[in-house]
Amino acid sequence: SSSGAGALARNPHPLENSWTFWFDNPSAKSKQAAWGSSIRPIYTFATVEEFWSIYNNIHHPSKLAVGADFHCFKHKIEPKWEDPICANGGKWTMTFPRGKSDTSWLYTLLAMIGEQFDHGDEICGAVVNVRNRQEKIALWTKNAANEAAQVSIGKQWKEFLDYNDTIGFIFHEDAKKHDRAAKNKYVI
Amino acid sequence: DQTDQVIDGCVVTVKRYSRDFLLKLAEQCTEVPEGFEITADIAEALMSANSNSRDPQ
Repeated sequence: SSSGAGALARNPHPLENSWTFWFDNPSAKSKQAAWGSSIRPIYTFATVEEFWSIYNNIHHPSKLAVGADFHCFKHKIEPKWEDPICANGGKWTMTFPRGKSDTSWLYTLLAMIGEQFDHGDEICGAVVNVRNRQEKIALWTKNAANEAAQVSIGKQWKEFLDYNDTIGFIFHEDAKKHDRAAKNKYVI
Repeated sequence: DQTDQVIDGCVVTVKRYSRDFLLKLAEQCTEVPEGFEITADIAEALMSANSNSRDPQ
């Protein structure tokens, strides 16, 4: 066939990394006690075309139910503190009013899969948390102690999204120990 | 859309794509990928109602 889809399949644009979308379903979450037990990998993609084929057919953050978590992580890295690659890492977090994170979420994904970060190797993935009053996007990185790399990533992220508020970086280790009381280690 | 980097004396091509370049490809990819399967409970929460599923239903 000489259809558009056929032409695309012949000439896909490969990504530097493969990435996996994960979804944590709020309705399943309430039924299960153990954290992380309802999180599921949805699809792993390795080309620009595969990315759009999924992205164009799923709800964006503003349409997801309150309580939902949607992740995009490098293939073979699980979006959990316990993952060996994430264990020594941390995260930058941006907050948005409910329904206002769609564009920032897309731009975060495009910057990651398009390898726009100078320290792209440090990135594990990103997650959007949909909550009652706000949507939060977090960018997870590997070596939290490497301040120069984390600050570079945080600065570039703000530039890509044109985000002007202050953002903070929390070590997963601190989040594990202190939960919501964990303090920012870096602020930009 | 690609950048050559020299690492340990070898030229390594890093596949970099700008946002504008990526956005240009968006409209061409409206159908879910072949082989994409999703369980019903997640599909309800995650999939757009007008998604271009290959499933005849």
